[in-house]
Amino acid sequence: MSTVDQAAVTRVKDAVAARGNGAVLSATQPHPDTLRFVIEKNAMRAAVAGLVKELRARFLISVGTDQRPLTGDFSILHLFSLDQDHLYVLLESSVSEKDPWIESITDLVPGANWAEREFRDAIGVRPDGHPDPRRLLLADDWPEGVFPLRRDFPYNYKPPRAENVRPQMLEPPKGASVLPIGPFFPVLEEPAYWRMFVEGETVVGCDTRIFYNHRGIEKLGDSVMTYNEIPYLAERICGICGFIHSTCYCQAVEKAAGIEVPRRARYIRTIMLELERIHSHLLWLGIAGHIIGFETILMQTWRVREPVMWLCEEISGNRKTYGMNTVGGLRRNLANQIMPKLLETLGRVEKETVAIRDAVIGDTTLQARTKGVGTLTNEWAKQVCVVGPPARASGVAIDARVDHPYAAYDEIPPRIATEEAGDTWARVLVRIAELLDSIRLVRDALAAIPPGPICADIKEEIPPGRFGLSVVEAPRGEAVHFVLTGGDNRPYRWRVRAPTYPNLQAMPAMVEGANIADVPITLGSLDPCFSCTERLETIDRTTNEVRVYSGAELLEMSRRRVCPGGAR
Amino acid sequence: MFLSKLREALICLKAGRVTLDYPLAPQEPKPGFRGKITIDADLCFGCGGCANVCPANVIVLSDTEQHRRTIEFYWRRCTYCGRCEEVCPEKAIRLSQQFETATNDPQDMYMRLEVFMGPCQRCGRCFPPPTALDRMMNTGFREGPRGGRA
Ligand code: SF4
Ligand code: SF4
Repeated sequence: MSTVDQAAVTRVKDAVAARGNGAVLSATQPHPDTLRFVIEKNAMRAAVAGLVKELRARFLISVGTDQRPLTGDFSILHLFSLDQDHLYVLLESSVSEKDPWIESITDLVPGANWAEREFRDAIGVRPDGHPDPRRLLLADDWPEGVFPLRRDFPYNYKPPRAENVRPQMLEPPKGASVLPIGPFFPVLEEPAYWRMFVEGETVVGCDTRIFYNHRGIEKLGDSVMTYNEIPYLAERICGICGFIHSTCYCQAVEKAAGIEVPRRARYIRTIMLELERIHSHLLWLGIAGHIIGFETILMQTWRVREPVMWLCEEISGNRKTYGMNTVGGLRRNLANQIMPKLLETLGRVEKETVAIRDAVIGDTTLQARTKGVGTLTNEWAKQVCVVGPPARASGVAIDARVDHPYAAYDEIPPRIATEEAGDTWARVLVRIAELLDSIRLVRDALAAIPPGPICADIKEEIPPGRFGLSVVEAPRGEAVHFVLTGGDNRPYRWRVRAPTYPNLQAMPAMVEGANIADVPITLGSLDPCFSCTERLETIDRTTNEVRVYSGAELLEMSRRRVCPGGAR
Repeated sequence: MFLSKLREALICLKAGRVTLDYPLAPQEPKPGFRGKITIDADLCFGCGGCANVCPANVIVLSDTEQHRRTIEFYWRRCTYCGRCEEVCPEKAIRLSQQFETATNDPQDMYMRLEVFMGPCQRCGRCFPPPTALDRMMNTGFREGPRGGRA
């Protein structure tokens, strides 16, 4: 475990205390790597400013909890990460039911934009002074004043629909026309509605309406499921990084309950996490090729990927949704007979990946379509708190596996791959480097895997009122799970933040000034995963659109795009 | 440019044909595969352990008569997680190797089992033999209050 520097702890405490102006009600260190401050609502903004401006803390997510049955108030929690110091900082305020508002921090941390809108929609605490207070999470025909994550809202209640509503979309700038993409569009695979404001062929801005995929899993988690049933639900948050979400959830509960996971289980988790990264990055490479019309990459990477899927099936019993995680460890052991086969398959995957890399890296067509496209500057990447490969491709060297080691990453550290350019090509390079490093990690883990039990022996019930925060580096960036334990053998609050959530918020900056034909690959280069991002409530309908280009037309445009001389 | 195109062509040529003949040729799943659930009616004694842990609520218990407990399996909802198999003290419920379960009749994905039980002398409710229940308690982590639903 990376040790937490005591000086850093003091520094954070001082920074919060200095800005908090005597409004800090309590400062505790519930886990060695977590500092928790309870502060008065009116000092929250100042404390956040202190953390972000002085200590360069990175915003993770906000959690709004309806704590009325316990304390009579709502609670708003802002989570931060101090990557260099390996610390998490939690700032908590309670907000009274009579006057449910809290000062917005979006102007200090642009990345908090969606998080604040989300707690407004879910529990009804208004972020005061928010620059864009439109609906985010709830469907447009969801009635006003009904908040699905409040405790007194039954999980199976369907409120009557609101009448005469349409999506609240931004007006295009004067002179620009609107090009709608979605809600169904081939590059996206999942529904999302983008309105590109264009002048001729150039994008001058964009607006989004997403969250069409809510499945209400957070509500299910705290009202229907039990601790040991949620891993199977968490696994289904994402079709590709399922193991990541179930690991992240289990780790959060384990941390809350103080459960020590056996070393072998931590190693097997590491192996499965890395196998997932390998097949996810291969999948992405294929899709990126497909978007720009380079089908050879699609065919070949997916061919290379398939043996990894078979391997996962052999290890876990299913090619996806492995069902291996449980609170305290694992349910299925990694059989020793599989290991030689695992090594052999990895060897083959590595050889073929290197062959594909060497072939495509010199391909000028590919470079011309990705270099200088969808550039995300280092500064803006930090501001909107982008995570994962898009962050690393913009020179932000963050990786939860290194910054907050979990599973066995403290014993077999990964190498962080970074690029400076911040364009789509840089994201391709980062992902290929990571893919090869993952293969090395699996090899290292297999060489060092210890014998022993795979699941902790849990005799006590999980005590209520504790919290656990876990961050896991998914192929798309870091996934964050926050659990507040409760009675009835289930969490009181379970908050999930998928990596696409912060990454999509960077999209407007990335497409501004771009050519329309570059939009699909820019979006694709984030490897967006909407069903992960949108976990919460209900379904949505789309109302009418302004002007419709068919998806096929736009995809065709993206493939035809001729780009003289590469970088534009 | 030309070189990389050549390399790409070589990769494709070397790969050859990789698709499988399925469904024309049968496909065997890997050992340890988790497929459709099967129940051995002779082994099941109606303890309800499986219903208690099933995350997808596939298994529903109801004590229809004094001596009879009905266990229904709506396995079209099954997530193939294998929790039921893990906790079943008699290994009556198992995940088979069967994966070709597509059907256009939902009734094909429904099973019903009636188990003869010993009712309590006082309250008249069914309960399984205490020894097996004890064994059941030793399997898995404490389960939620949902399963015992009558
Ligand atoms: S496999 Fe899982 S989902 Fe299916 S019946 Fe068993 S416990 Fe329920
Ligand atoms: S756990 Fe086994 S014995 Fe008990 S009810 Fe289910 S199938 Fe029958």
